[in-house]
Amino acid sequence: MTEEPLVTAVTAVTAVVTVIAVGNPYRGDDGVGAAVLAAVSESLGPDPRVRLVELDGEPVRMMQAWEGSALVWLVDAMSSDVPPGSLQEVDARRLDEGDSSWRGVGGGHALGLREAIEFAAALDRLPAEIRVLGIEGETFDHGEGLSPAVTHAVPAAAARLVAAIRRHLDPTH
Amino acid sequence: MTHDYRVRRFDVEALTRVEGEGGLIVEIREGELADVRLRIFEPPRFFEGFLVGRDHTEPPDITARICGICPVAYQMSACQALEAACGVDVDDDIRTLRHLLYCGEWIESHVLHVHLLHAPDFLGYPSGLAMAADHRAEVERGLRLKKVGNSVVEVVGGRAVHPVNVRVGGFYSTPTAAAMRALASDLHQAMDDAIDVARWVATFDIPEHGLPEGTALVALRHATEYPMLGERLVSTTGLDIGVDEYPDHFAEVQVEHSTALHGSMLAGGDYLVGPLARFALNADHLAPTAAALARELGLDAAERNPFRSIVVRAIETVHACATALAIAEAYTPPARAWVPVEPRAAAGCGWSEAPRGLLWHRYEIDDQGRIAAARIVPPTSQNQPAIEHDLAHLIGHSLHLDDDDLEAICEQAVRNYDPCISCATHFLDMRIHRS
Repeated sequence: MTEEPLVTAVTAVTAVVTVIAVGNPYRGDDGVGAAVLAAVSESLGPDPRVRLVELDGEPVRMMQAWEGSALVWLVDAMSSDVPPGSLQEVDARRLDEGDSSWRGVGGGHALGLREAIEFAAALDRLPAEIRVLGIEGETFDHGEGLSPAVTHAVPAAAARLVAAIRRHLDPTH
Repeated sequence: MTHDYRVRRFDVEALTRVEGEGGLIVEIREGELADVRLRIFEPPRFFEGFLVGRDHTEPPDITARICGICPVAYQMSACQALEAACGVDVDDDIRTLRHLLYCGEWIESHVLHVHLLHAPDFLGYPSGLAMAADHRAEVERGLRLKKVGNSVVEVVGGRAVHPVNVRVGGFYSTPTAAAMRALASDLHQAMDDAIDVARWVATFDIPEHGLPEGTALVALRHATEYPMLGERLVSTTGLDIGVDEYPDHFAEVQVEHSTALHGSMLAGGDYLVGPLARFALNADHLAPTAAALARELGLDAAERNPFRSIVVRAIETVHACATALAIAEAYTPPARAWVPVEPRAAAGCGWSEAPRGLLWHRYEIDDQGRIAAARIVPPTSQNQPAIEHDLAHLIGHSLHLDDDDLEAICEQAVRNYDPCISCATHFLDMRIHRS
């Protein structure tokens, strides 16, 4: 915590691209989304066309966060059977078609990303493109800090997002 | 669900439209209710142990992570407890900003519960999503209202989720007058929407039911305000205590079927915290618009029907909008954003009214500010016994219903309390016995 935190009315800004990190930095590798978001922020620098936001997975907040954006990326930790630190990417509209490891993404409780997608679709509020980047976690124990494998994966995850964002903002890039 | 001709047993493995993971077991033998248990099986999260050894400045940020729906409640109770330990009173304008921040959280939480979690029960839909198809205008209105709640939390708290601008002693920085003017403009619209929502939910077909006789209603009380930040804890049974006296009157016990502790009054009997209790004990301090609307909708302080809690939440949303609007319109940036809070070896307690009810914190710190002990009592654990007994009472009057209808009304009754299981499961006292 710094003495000068960011206090801005970000809802007033309509971004072209929104990146949403979901997770809990006090639960080990569940904090990887926030770490990737910080790396993306550092790499991109301030850009009013890009909104970076950390959320808890509650669907209305997610839907309102991406309002007006054409491209949305969701970054979250995953727990499946691939090696820790592995990156996986999926079209969020096709979560049902993936294996079961995607089902908890974007919210640990009764409401999550799937509900947000369905709800937004029902209200015509889906962005043109919405994708999920999952980073396989190793430990979700209590406490701060990422495991070495997941720490190692953060720059690659951020680079992948930054490249996708730049491609979207400038297709000739 | 399983049943034979003598035994009806419901086992709702995972309750839907509640925050967190819990289930419900109901057993009826020979036509008589034999057992009701609200099962909470979400893993305990040990936050209190996690806080030990941390600095006294950290609980507002750490405890905000307990719940994505009510982080402000955790921050407010934590700040007040630590300020009490250090013998500090914050400036009046800092307290007013805290009140505003809390209004934002009440709006967000109540609107989410009313629209996505609870209204579908009354209108006959399996989910908020299904309801949205037929009630799009009402859902859009709810989303608009919730967005204003988000904005309040964002402007005062720094961001809408797990606010980062709260510190022990006040805030890291204070909103600009321009940001507050924009907020006031949004809140004018929100007032109209909130009033419409209250009139809408009051048209629902609400089951006739009352809490079991003897269930005490317990809420904070303030000399002039409807309590978010209160001064005394009062009850319908005559309780009137200060924050340090809470452990003398309330305890928590462990039960086999729940990873959350169960709250109990040492004097005996069930008690309930939350909107119904706040309204019963503080209706005289509602904002005038909210008070007039409550009268128009037929609510009075004697209300004890948990199914009408949806109307009370809507009234409280109007109150939160009116209070936030008044604060935003009168705002001038405070002279200072925080007051210094120097540590000393002491213990301190703090409390506030989370959207779901009383949230009590206690911390012990050393002279360097290191936390030696922490205790957090959230509303859902306090309400668990009362919820189970209310369900027993309800089922006792509903045995004529077929299994599907009985199961449905039980689930709806649980949602009357808007239980936040995520909050309730962070303080299991785990002991290992070796022999």
